[in-house]
Amino acid sequence: MFKSLQDEARQSPYEKVLQECLRGELRVVNAGLPRSQKRLSDLLTEQYPHVICNDGGAHVFKKSELEYLASMIDIDEQEALPLPMLIELGANQAEAAIICEGKIEEKVISKALNMSVTCEQRRIRIYRPQLALLRRKFKTTTVYVFSPKIVA
Amino acid sequence: MPEIIKVRPTKIELIRLKRRLSMAQRVQKIVKDRLSILTMEFLETARDTVEAKRKLVDELSKLYKAISIAGGYHGYIAMEKELIATEADLKVTAGLRNIAGVRIPSFELIGNLPAEAWQAGGKPMRGYNLLDTSSWLDRAAQLSEECLKAIVELAELQRSFELLAKEINRTKRISNALEYTVIPGLQVTINYLNMKFEERDREEKARLKRVKVLVARG
Repeated sequence: MFKSLQDEARQSPYEKVLQECLRGELRVVNAGLPRSQKRLSDLLTEQYPHVICNDGGAHVFKKSELEYLASMIDIDEQEALPLPMLIELGANQAEAAIICEGKIEEKVISKALNMSVTCEQRRIRIYRPQLALLRRKFKTTTVYVFSPKIVA
Repeated sequence: MPEIIKVRPTKIELIRLKRRLSMAQRVQKIVKDRLSILTMEFLETARDTVEAKRKLVDELSKLYKAISIAGGYHGYIAMEKELIATEADLKVTAGLRNIAGVRIPSFELIGNLPAEAWQAGGKPMRGYNLLDTSSWLDRAAQLSEECLKAIVELAELQRSFELLAKEINRTKRISNALEYTVIPGLQVTINYLNMKFEERDREEKARLKRVKVLVARG
């Protein structure tokens, strides 16, 4: 702790501005992340389906989109699908990864993109053109995550 | 041409500059990533907006035609009398969603007809007398509902389009400042300091050689 305080003291105002800029950018880009995800089956029963974001605001889902999602999977799968789906942007700019818990996300993404995808290490990797296609179909049910890994 | 930052030529300053450079590069990475996502979303929104506008214009032209035909068939006064009963409040769900730090509005038109207004066959009862009116009026009513949906969709897209464009401008300015001013400035200063230290080393070596010669003579 002493060392970190020393480092802090040694920082010039210029460095502090840059550090603040980095923190600010990370805070801004990840402000829309949900505090917790909700299951599709729960969201379908809500009058105004939404989740609370990190910044305290609400992320509202479109009912039509939820119904479209529900039409793609079975009822028991609806109880296991967490929403919004998180799209992680990694160090490689040409790729994105969808963070998934199980096979349901795999099934949904496969159907939406009309191609088979596989989940490896809890991530489904897709390319940017596929990401655009996915976002067109799931505008409110997907959210971007800017992982700290990309700045490491 | 980037300017050299005025710093004391010391090793500590060089370390600080290197730290600043790595920080600036990290910020630039995030900003660039964000910019690419925003641009992708912007292009998508622009495409959707154009499509929605075209759709709305088509729907409206169809609607005007249908209304004039219905008006011609029933007479405008009789049609207005029938339509007074159909007035209903428009229900739109409005919320926000976040795209890479930009809060975008999200509108969705909720069916403004109560559930019991739907017949068993799936056709809605719009409130006017079906016996006294023709299918032309049904057609006009159906088209007007589609127009409402298209207007709400266009409103969302148009606003998203504007907000994304503003944010892209802002992010681009930050990205350009980092790319063309901050980072090159730091790199030039680091190079300058490195050269200065090398020069000092060379001078030191030359001085030592000279001292060595002098000591050997003495």
